[in-house]
Amino acid sequence: MIIETRNLTKEYNGIKALKDVSFSVKEGEIFGFLGPNGAGKTTTIKILTTLLMPTSGEVYVNGYNVVEEAKKVRESIGLVPQENVLENDLTARENLIFHGMLYNIKGRKLEDRVEKALKFADLESRADEKVRNFSGGTKRRLETVKAFLHSPKIIFLDEPSLGLDPQSRRLFWDYIEKINKEEKITIFLTTHYMDEADYLCDRVCIIDMGKILDLDTPKNLKEKFGEGEVVEITVPRARKFAEILKEKCECNIIKVDEERLKISSKHKERALAEIFKNADELGVSILDISVREPTLEDVFIHYTGKGIREGKGDFTKAVLRRFKG
Amino acid sequence: MSLISFFRESYVVTWKDMRLWVKNPMVPFTRSLMLPLLWIVIFGTAFGGTATNIPVAVVMQDHSTIATNFVSELGTGGTLKLIPASESEAFRMLKYMKVSAVILIPGDFSTRIKAGGRAEVMLSLDDTTPQISTTVSSKVYGMARAFSSSGKGIHVDKNTLYGRGITYLDFLAPGVIIMTIIFSSFFSGGLSLVMDREFGTITMLLVSPISRDAIIMGKIFAGVLQSLTSGIVALIIAFIMGVRIRTGFDGFLIILLILLIAGFGFIGMSTALAVKINELDQLMVVTQTIIMPMWFISGGLYPIASMPHWMRIIAMLNPLTYATNALRAVMLRGIIWQTLTLDIAVITAFAFVMLFVGSYLFKKSIS
Repeated sequence: MIIETRNLTKEYNGIKALKDVSFSVKEGEIFGFLGPNGAGKTTTIKILTTLLMPTSGEVYVNGYNVVEEAKKVRESIGLVPQENVLENDLTARENLIFHGMLYNIKGRKLEDRVEKALKFADLESRADEKVRNFSGGTKRRLETVKAFLHSPKIIFLDEPSLGLDPQSRRLFWDYIEKINKEEKITIFLTTHYMDEADYLCDRVCIIDMGKILDLDTPKNLKEKFGEGEVVEITVPRARKFAEILKEKCECNIIKVDEERLKISSKHKERALAEIFKNADELGVSILDISVREPTLEDVFIHYTGKGIREGKGDFTKAVLRRFKG
Repeated sequence: MSLISFFRESYVVTWKDMRLWVKNPMVPFTRSLMLPLLWIVIFGTAFGGTATNIPVAVVMQDHSTIATNFVSELGTGGTLKLIPASESEAFRMLKYMKVSAVILIPGDFSTRIKAGGRAEVMLSLDDTTPQISTTVSSKVYGMARAFSSSGKGIHVDKNTLYGRGITYLDFLAPGVIIMTIIFSSFFSGGLSLVMDREFGTITMLLVSPISRDAIIMGKIFAGVLQSLTSGIVALIIAFIMGVRIRTGFDGFLIILLILLIAGFGFIGMSTALAVKINELDQLMVVTQTIIMPMWFISGGLYPIASMPHWMRIIAMLNPLTYATNALRAVMLRGIIWQTLTLDIAVITAFAFVMLFVGSYLFKKSIS
């Protein structure tokens, strides 16, 4: 196990940001921490990267204790933090050189690594340009290749695709996969994008309010939850309709509001038949109906009872900011 | 766009800015209340006051009543603080900047007056602080004129032993160079820390294997190098402008040493302050309320002897006073170690304390 936490707890002024968190990450995998804002994702990354001390519990990264062997941990990791932390007035090359120097890489070796990293990030032609002029996606790419310049065992990415447009995101995901496969580096990322976790991660850990809700492969998570497919129905008097359906057919009600109803069922055909039959009996007409494979978002709602985008605000961030200052 | 909508739109912008102004009271409070108060007090009392208590050594070779009267008259009004001394002692004090002038009353002072001849008073001056030596000589000349009714008058034999021909520019230059050092220390040391934190670049240092102490030391060295550079540039500009630097290469090394120690001290101080500062705005306020007054009350612009008593106490506690003194002594009087040791010792102690406090607070803030 390249990362292991046992009963990790973090408190800020008596408020628990992480409660008894235990998980482990296998070497070579892409591991995702999925949760809404304020779930405890950034706190976890900060503890794993030795930027914060745990209140209690044990944390091992690459076999080293993050408290007692912080220097060893730091030598084994690379970090791509949420905010852009490149030196804007240095060039891409200078940023990489500085980074290499921090890790005591010198001379020929440093030159080679910098060239390789520039090539990897497709930045050879812009190597001597000030980073200030780069777009968000380009900066992110540079930041990511920087994080593996010193050949770490693990790279941590905190909300890596935050603020990237769809094209850059897809490109960026490919970069992460390439780093993972070609450089054989374990990737630990946090995200609140379902599709990102689904696309990239070998395993996903769902976290909310400082607690782990589940941890499995995206496929298993989806299977475990849904027992089949998801049916979304738009219908008047949806609540009443949901009650009736619950009695009549073997299905899970995922979500219901005034005129929208989301259910999951193992037996798609039977469920559909029941839906139409009951709509007739109730005298309501179905305005829209769709059947699809479950997504991680469904899994998430199943666990937390709410969509991931409607997070609880940036509570943790606010606390962190106070501590930083 | 009509005039009314123009004003309405301007009002919206004003409204938001005033809202922010009221919401974060510390900065506007200091800016609009403390600062004007501070300026008025400093400008009103530090500059243009009459110098008092100027230490002057008096060598009495004539103990007659006339001579004693003459000297005690000089002591009235509180301008001069007379220190009786032997001749050699007096000139040593002048050399080591313990006194600003030596007044020597020759043995034949009273006999000459009694004989109806011209008596002589020897006035030896240190012109390093021109305002002070001017005050001293005008006091002595005035007294000599007042005593001239008896006999053929008193001749003042004036002699500038140190800092001959010093202009206000010569006097000002050391203070300005020190000011350059302190300002660039605050803007390279403190500012860079605030910026690093604000933009999160410090994170990359914190996750790397280099030690926390090395981060602090590296930051401090960079700051010192930057402030030293601007100090040297100021020195060169002063030189080009004709400021006379009465010392050779060894003196230049001492100048560098003083600038270096001062740089370390102020970088340490700016680091300590920067730990508590989160925004650029606050740094500006600190600069305006701490650094500027420190400079004005350092004797860099205007001699401390002409400041009110309470301000002199502040000046005595102000490390800038010692840095300016040391630099001025080397630049205008050459290397006389006895004049430098105390000043250099004080700024060295200041530098050590500030570096310790600064790195301690900084380390605490990042772990």
